[in-house]
Amino acid sequence: MTSESDELHTLLGAYLLGGLSDADHRAFTKHLRTCADCQSELGQLSGLPRLLELARPVDGPHLSPDAALELGASGDEDGRVEALLARVARRRRTRRLWLAAVAAAAAVAVFGAGMWLGPRFTAPPSLPTTHVVAAAEPGSGSPVRVDVALVTRGWGTQLDLACEDMPTDGELLLYVIDRQGTATPAASWRATPAGYSRLTGATSLRPDEIQRLEIRDGDGEVLASATT
Amino acid sequence: MPLDDEAVAAIYREHGPMLRRVVWRATSDADRVDDIVQEVILRVWRQGPEADNLRAYLITTARHLIVDQHRAAVRRPQQTELVELADDDAALDRALDEVLVEEALGRLQPNHRDIVKCLYYERLSIAETSGRLGVPEGTVKSRAYYAVRNLRVILDEMGVTR
Repeated sequence: MTSESDELHTLLGAYLLGGLSDADHRAFTKHLRTCADCQSELGQLSGLPRLLELARPVDGPHLSPDAALELGASGDEDGRVEALLARVARRRRTRRLWLAAVAAAAAVAVFGAGMWLGPRFTAPPSLPTTHVVAAAEPGSGSPVRVDVALVTRGWGTQLDLACEDMPTDGELLLYVIDRQGTATPAASWRATPAGYSRLTGATSLRPDEIQRLEIRDGDGEVLASATT
Repeated sequence: MPLDDEAVAAIYREHGPMLRRVVWRATSDADRVDDIVQEVILRVWRQGPEADNLRAYLITTARHLIVDQHRAAVRRPQQTELVELADDDAALDRALDEVLVEEALGRLQPNHRDIVKCLYYERLSIAETSGRLGVPEGTVKSRAYYAVRNLRVILDEMGVTR
């Protein structure tokens, strides 16, 4: 795809949400007639406006999740886990009584299934992850912004990057700097015309061994940095 | 802790807060939120589904449980109404979808949420949104694109496939 067609492709978002100028609207609908990628993506996304409309209460949508979060995160989470486990224990007792009353063969089958299902849920469902935001030096006026998620892995750290308002051409690199001040590259990629990209890098350092992260351009200039 | 307890506690820690928000908003009955959430997690744990998309499975189970309780409450009108507006299953489904869409919007990253708010809910143009948020028009366009894509992924994860 050419970068012009890339640009037209991203208009799909505002085409669905609304807000395109007449000229952009014309350009996109013309492009849509001949672009199979856009047609198929539009097919996947075309249900969204109807769903969004559902979340439009009279007093405006609950776009700030704070009020809802309050209930989700508030109160005595440990107590809730305890209450839940007490319920598990009651179920387990009930099951034992029931088991005592049925044939041994059936009991073996039930227990077998239970033990087989157990380990699938015992692995932690999410890996320990920390988030940092890398930005340009204060006062530099550069809007560059990179959200970094550091995911702890057995082999080191996975670095998920969401880059915004980046340079639109040239090479970009991610460096990790350890506690001794040694910088090693952890990812390199090419700038996009939209100045937006998502990518994943990797380093053998553990998260607690990483002191700083730097996004540099091809000339080694630091565009953004974050201290972990 | 026995193996089972660890498994159940892990499901709760990962998905409990989200389930509580969804159930609370769908039932408006604070007293029963914890009860329903616990029951959902226990059922899912006992059925041991393929854990690929546990979130969608938990939400579907919560939906069934709320619908069942709602039907029971309609048969016994002296019990608390679950959802004020819901006088049939279709209305209750719509109410649940509404809650799930709001939950999905809450999970969207803030700068994408701002774009949806300006372009869709406030019907601003690209140029107006650019002025409001103080970012170039090109950024508004690319964020709009990634916002709708991410929103679709989040909704798929939650089992909202419409």
